Amino acid sequence: MNGEDPAERPDFIRNIINGLERYNPEAAGTLESYLQQQCEEKFCDSNANRALLKLYQLNPDRIKDEVITNILVKCMTQFPSPQFDLALHLLSPNIASSSTKTELAEAVSKLRGLNAQLEGAQYARFWATMDSDDLYADLTTDIAGFEDMIRLRIAQLVSQAFREVKLSVLESWLGLDGESETGKFVTETCGWKVDGEGNVQIPRNPDNEAKKAEIREDVNVDMFSRVIKRAWEEAA
Amino acid sequence: MSEFSGQKPPRAVDVDSDVEEEALVNEYREQVQYEDGEELEPVTSLSMAQQTDDIQSRLAAAAQPLDFSAPLETKFQSYDSYCSLFHFILNSEGPVDLEPPSYYWAWDVIDEFIYQFNSFSSYRARIARQANNEEEIQILKENPNTWGCYSVLNVLYSLIQRSQITEQLAATKRGEDPMAVAGEYGSKPLYRMLGYFSIIGLLRVHCLLGDFSLALKTLDDIELNKKSMFARVMAAHFTTYYYVGFSYMMMRRYADAIRMFSHILVFVSRTKNFQKNAQYDSITKKNDQMYALIAICVAFHPTRLDDTIHTALREKYGDQLLKLQRGGPESLPIFEELFRAACPKFISPVPPNFDEPESNIDPIEHHLSVFMDEVKTNMFNPTVKSYLRLYTTMDLTKLSGFLDVQPEELRSWLLVNKQRTKQLRWNDAGLLEGDLVNVSDIDYAMQGDLIHISEAKVGRKLVDWYLRNLSRTYA
Repeated sequence: MNGEDPAERPDFIRNIINGLERYNPEAAGTLESYLQQQCEEKFCDSNANRALLKLYQLNPDRIKDEVITNILVKCMTQFPSPQFDLALHLLSPNIASSSTKTELAEAVSKLRGLNAQLEGAQYARFWATMDSDDLYADLTTDIAGFEDMIRLRIAQLVSQAFREVKLSVLESWLGLDGESETGKFVTETCGWKVDGEGNVQIPRNPDNEAKKAEIREDVNVDMFSRVIKRAWEEAA
Repeated sequence: MSEFSGQKPPRAVDVDSDVEEEALVNEYREQVQYEDGEELEPVTSLSMAQQTDDIQSRLAAAAQPLDFSAPLETKFQSYDSYCSLFHFILNSEGPVDLEPPSYYWAWDVIDEFIYQFNSFSSYRARIARQANNEEEIQILKENPNTWGCYSVLNVLYSLIQRSQITEQLAATKRGEDPMAVAGEYGSKPLYRMLGYFSIIGLLRVHCLLGDFSLALKTLDDIELNKKSMFARVMAAHFTTYYYVGFSYMMMRRYADAIRMFSHILVFVSRTKNFQKNAQYDSITKKNDQMYALIAICVAFHPTRLDDTIHTALREKYGDQLLKLQRGGPESLPIFEELFRAACPKFISPVPPNFDEPESNIDPIEHHLSVFMDEVKTNMFNPTVKSYLRLYTTMDLTKLSGFLDVQPEELRSWLLVNKQRTKQLRWNDAGLLEGDLVNVSDIDYAMQGDLIHISEAKVGRKLVDWYLRNLSRTYA
């Protein structure tokens, strides 16, 4: 699963989440600073972040609103993946309910909408939603390079499904201003080529080949061991 | 953390001294953060002397199911007797010298302990939501730590640690003698079995609290096969597979979830003729729940099921399965219906807010709504697949005309469907491990608006057929 157990995880965090220390309310502080580090250094440790949400679940008095929203935004950058949902499952039902009228509940509900657009591959709508309300900028401001991470992830997913795609389509999906900027991103960051008619050529890879395959049954002796054993026993 | 390790300085248990025993009970109360122990009626704490005299019947009692409609007072008492029993087992000086009444006793105790924790939490939440039983609200408000989540976790983790069961299982896995690492507690059957089933208990508690990945992580040391200790106790075998399968489903690992449910359902169908007892009745209910969950998983991840399972599924949930497999908005209520009927009775780990009854949302609704987000994202996959199956190349605008949607919308559907064909699948290592594999028989790639489609040919699977017919002919 994306962003589950990153190589960047230090030993002291490993000790917390793999031992009983994960239930010590005092560990929340350590995990919070680790989240801060993830936000700044652009990596994601959802496993450790869930340990933090778990502590909040057991000790609601320790909840820090911005930590919860930062964790959710971090999960969102891993799309498509169950990370965001797994984090939501650990929130108290009234925080995650649209009928609750607190600032945190409202923020969670907005992030949930955003995440649904990314999971549903409605990338153009995602960028439109981001622009529709200043709150989105506030919610994602702590996560360094948020928009770039989303953009790269979209490009990666596009490369797994497309051999060729119109520049105009990519422009709306990547949320960039104008074809020239999109062209620049596509050629410089992704290393793809744009032809004269505005088509982006994506190099072949195992995912965009759609090769024919035949699935055959693997048969081995073990599957027949019981029959053979019985035949042997009956003969004897 | 000492409060979890259960490694309090050992105290002398002097059977003749009531004072000493009272001190022990109080000490345990402290350990479980029992703030208002004094307010409880003394009848709830049997003194240790009576307990040791009568320990065998106490052991048996701990495994007895509590009546569902038992009054609140009985539920409190039951909690207290579990506390003192576990305290006696964990914190006596040295291991207590007792033989478990039967090989399934330890499972029954842990099972009943968690069941009571589960139903108490649900009951408490219901009282808070209904807000019309002042008397009980008052009692529950005053005793926030009775059946508290931290104390339940504390008991399970302490039993695991005391018995060194993790070390024992690791040794067994390496092919070494587990007794070498069992220590003075873990070498006794009482501790070993309680420790072992506490691991299964943790799987369940984590799942009830919505922590599905931690639930699976808990089982790292237990190998899921018929040789495992849990497989000797039918209810344990069954429960384990239900919770593992459910956790997989919530982590979108549908192939693995189906594998788990199928394994146990096939097992039950083979053994049902000689399992007609009380235990079997409770298993029948879980049985139906797992068929409902298989229906959900198959809708997400169409696959060929074992023939026995397939037939039973069509019998039990034939209509629903058809609607799920068709997808679209019409399938949503069916997903909700089956999920509600088949999910564990989720609970919240903290006491409800009695002052604002309407703020206490049922955790089942919460987890359902998160699950439904993913259902909604995927609801057009069946439509997309059914059309793609008909062509080798197809124009996107033409297909969007057939489906009566905007081309942009269809591009999203195609991307979603393609992205979901990759799934993590178990690879013989820990339950959380797996390889990212393509699980669909249909693959495609887009070249501008042209969709290239290739369908994997599935050769006939014959081994199962041969085996079944061989055993039928020669039985």
